[in-house]
Parts: sequence; structure tokens; C-alpha cells
Amino acid sequence: MEDESQRILKYLTEVEEAAEDVLSDKQQIVDLDVKRNRNREALNALRDDSQQSEDKVKVCFGNMFIKLPKATTKQMIQKDQEQLDKEISDLRKRLKARVNHLNHLQGRPDLVGYNLSPLTSDEIKAINNLLRR
Amino acid sequence: MAAQMAATKVPEVRDITRIERIGAHSHIRGLGLDDALEPRQVSQGMVGQLASRRAAGLILEMIKDGHIAGRAILIAGQPGTGKTAIAMGIAQSLGQDTPFTAMAGSEIFSLEMSKTEALSQAFRKAIGVRIKEETEIIEGEVVEIQIDRPATGTGAKVGKLTLKTTEMETIYDLGSKMIESLSKERVQAGDVITIDKATGKITKLGRSFTRARDYDAMGAQTVFVQCPEGELQKRKEVVHTVSLHEIDVINSRTQGFLALFSGDTGEIKSEVREQINAKVSEWREEGKAEIIPGVLFIDEVHMLDIECFSFLNRALESDLSPVLIMATNRGITRIRGTNYQSPHGIPIDMLDRLLIIATSPYTEKETRQILKIRCEEEDVELSEEAHTVLTRIGLETSLRYAIQLISTAGLVCRKRRGTEVQVEDIKRVYSLFLDESRSSQYMKEYQDSFLFNEAQGTQMETS
Repeated sequence: MEDESQRILKYLTEVEEAAEDVLSDKQQIVDLDVKRNRNREALNALRDDSQQSEDKVKVCFGNMFIKLPKATTKQMIQKDQEQLDKEISDLRKRLKARVNHLNHLQGRPDLVGYNLSPLTSDEIKAINNLLRR
Repeated sequence: MAAQMAATKVPEVRDITRIERIGAHSHIRGLGLDDALEPRQVSQGMVGQLASRRAAGLILEMIKDGHIAGRAILIAGQPGTGKTAIAMGIAQSLGQDTPFTAMAGSEIFSLEMSKTEALSQAFRKAIGVRIKEETEIIEGEVVEIQIDRPATGTGAKVGKLTLKTTEMETIYDLGSKMIESLSKERVQAGDVITIDKATGKITKLGRSFTRARDYDAMGAQTVFVQCPEGELQKRKEVVHTVSLHEIDVINSRTQGFLALFSGDTGEIKSEVREQINAKVSEWREEGKAEIIPGVLFIDEVHMLDIECFSFLNRALESDLSPVLIMATNRGITRIRGTNYQSPHGIPIDMLDRLLIIATSPYTEKETRQILKIRCEEEDVELSEEAHTVLTRIGLETSLRYAIQLISTAGLVCRKRRGTEVQVEDIKRVYSLFLDESRSSQYMKEYQDSFLFNEAQGTQMETS
């Protein structure tokens, strides 16, 4: 009896942990996307025509503003953006494995076609007639 | 003219009480097995035939796991012993994702198409290809759209679009193309929209619930949706399953994609098929596609001739081959197209490749239960005595005949405004409709007065 309840407790902990992993990954993707969108807004602002005359901009680091050349700032943000894109796609890949793990623990069947690589847009276009029945 | 036609047509609309057509095997919902593949006596519309149902269950599991492809199974048994029922049960339990194609052996004989073409189309209909489509989309609720028109009236418009989800909010700068498509879709604040990142296509999903009280007078077609959750820029993955035949049809040039809808596909060139095969196996190697071997069910397989069998032999060897299930009610008989006798009317070399499942005649108890299930299916109430009488009829004549009597007796019963079918109703329809043996008895008695009467003793030509 004691063994049984221990076993169940262990199993439930495992499931909860897996679920927690999934949720935290999801939240992280959201947080990163917030950052990505803010960077995008910043890049748009840098392109703004009205302030073209100035060649330096104020950039906020933590709680302090630093004046930096426009080109450097742009480069910095773009690099950050690339990093973010990569991180998000990595997270998405990991999320898939974690969701599968959770399904596995809960005894649910794996999602079908989950680990397929997508068709290219040309190929999708070619069989679109079929897909949009 | 058209208006006139419409006007004259109106009185034709009658109030028809809902009549559902009921097929002979419409009551079957599965094979009726438990988790350990043990057949239950009565379950999911299946009764008896325990051994054959268990065998079918084993095969079903193997099909689901994708272990067997290019195998063939023969369901053999006397008429009315549930061969088609077992095949239907397999089809029902396979689920949505596995293709199941059913055809009768005689379907392949057509003037428009050669026999082998019809068979290869059936084969390819039974093979599914699973593919994935992936799109990056921006999904959010529109908080605000701001469009600046240049004062001169000409020149590029610029604007800003604020989108939000439950977690975040951001501002997008809009170019003139984007503004154009936004106004074309009539997007306004409060709409939930998706923007395809690759093509820039905007789709309106509906209005946000939080804005439901903005206007009281709202059209019925307005859809209300929740504000999207999570990140704004999402990746959408959709998995599609298409059959090889469908891809064939799309790609056979002379027909064009419209052929799929008109139903007449004609013959498909073998080059097209080869190209598709090459493409699909290329996709499979790149991990872009999964092949799902489905099930092709050929009923009345003794109707196929020797050429078809040799084609089947060859087709089963191919690496893109579904599981072939065949059913026949013939014993040792002539193979169609030859003068040779063979068991089930199937050549020995073909028989050698088959797993054979046999069905046996139903017992009295089982017949009783099947009749009960059919009564429920056809919405006919049967009294206890009538049920017993019907079971006897089923045993002495045939199960199919007894099932036919259910609905006819039900009608007779309704005519006399009864609620339950009584023995008298059964007797009445029994005297109205002859069963096979009484009909042939009648023939024997009055054969002299029939036209084209031939000498006795000639057997029916079966092949």
C-alpha cells in the first residue's frame, strides 16, 4: 500500500514536472517575442525620416541613457534580433520534444506528423488545390 | 425566364419527413474487441464470429502500427456470415487518418478504363501521404489603426497598426501595400486578424469579445472570438493527409485539377505516376512526408479475372502498396477468364500470399441478437414471439431474408396502427414475399408456363 502511494506520487511529480517544463518554455517564447517586437519597433524608429539630421541617438541601458552613433545602434539591435530569432526557434524545437514527453507520460498517443519537416512554399503551392478542398 | 422557372418550382417543395436510408451494415461501429484484443460476444454491432474478429483485430493492430504493407488478407465464408461486416468493422476502427477504400470486384469492368487502370487507381487511393505545412503568422487583436494621408492628396500613405495579445502589445509601421489590404478587408479596431508573414495576406478571424458591446445592432454573421494568447508572431503547423491518387489527378496535365470534382478522371499516364512516386520518395528521404499504407477492400473478389490477379500479384510487391483485404463467398470454382478450377476462384499463386480468415454460419442465439440489433437500427419494435418467429425464419431461410422482413413487417404494423410488430405481421409479409427456396420451389412447379424455360439440372454459371 505504502509502495503504491509512493509510486503514484512519484509518477504525478514526473507528470507535473513535464507540464511545468512545457509551460515555462511557452512563457519564455512569449517573453522573447516581446523583446523581439520591441527591437523591431526600435529599428523602425531609427529609420524615421524626421530625425535624420542627427547622427547620434540616446539608447537606454538598464536605468541609464547613453548616446551612441546611429549605425552602431542599428547593428547592435540587428545582431540582438538574429540572436532572438535563433533562440525562439530553438525553444520551439525543444517545446515539441517536451510536449511529446508529456503526452508519453500521460499515456496519450503522440501527435501525428509532428516531427515532419515542412514542405517548401513552392511545393505547398503546387498541391494547394488538394489542401483547400 | 429564370424568375419564371423559380416561380413555377416553388410549389414542388414538399415537407418530407426525414427519411434516413439505412444500409445493410450501418449498425457496425467497430470490431467489438476489448483492449486485450479479446472479442466481446456482442459489441459495436458485431455478434459472434469470435475467432475471425480476433484475427481481424490482430491484423488491424498491425495495420495501425504500419508493420504490414503489401500484404493481402482473404475473408472467406458462406453468404450471410458477416464478411462485409468484418471489413466494415476494420474500416470503422482504423480511424480518420488511415485511408480505407472499398470496392466491389465487378467495379473494375468499365468501358472507359482498363481493368488494370481501375485497380491501380484503387490501390493508390488507399495510400495516404502525410505532409506538413508551416507558416509564420502574426495573430492579434487590432487596438488601433492610424492612417496618415498626405496633405496633397497624392503620394504614399503611411500608417501605424497596434496589435495585442493577452500578453503583449506592439506597434507596426504600415506601408502603402499593407494599408491597401487592410482597408480592403475592412479591418477596424477590435477585429482579431492574422497576417501571413511570407505573403502579407490578412485574414479576419472575427471581433474580439471585449468589443462585443461597442454596437448593439450587430449582424448575425459577426463572429466573436477571444483575444489571442501568447506571442504575437506564431508558427502555425498544419498536417495534411492526401492520397497518392489525388496527387496523380492534380498532376495529370490533360485533365487539370477540375477532374477531381467531376469524378471522371479517366486514365492516368504511367509516367505521371512514376514522377509522383519519385517525388514522394524524395520527400520521404528528406523527412518531409510520411507514407501511410491504408486498406483496399475488394468485395466479391471472385469477379476478378486471371489478368487482374496477376496484376495484383505484381502490385503487392511494390514498396508503395496498401494492405489488401478481399472477401469472397465462393468455394472451389472456375477462375474467371480460364477453365481452371481453384479454391475461392483465386489462382493458387495468389492464394499462397494470402492470410485467410474464415467466417462460419451464425448460431440461433447469434441470429437472434443480430435481428435485435437490426430492429434497433431500423427503429422497429418487435414483440417477443415475433422475434422468435423471425429467428426461425432467419435460420431456415437466410439471415438476409429475415432482415428484409424487419422493415416490411414494420410497415405492415404501422399500417394497422400497431406499436409493436406481432407474429401476424411477420406471417403477412412472409406470405407476401417469397424467400429464395420458396421462389425456386414455385419455379419448379410452374416452369412449363414460364418463358425461355430450359431443361432442369443446369447449374448457375458463376464465373
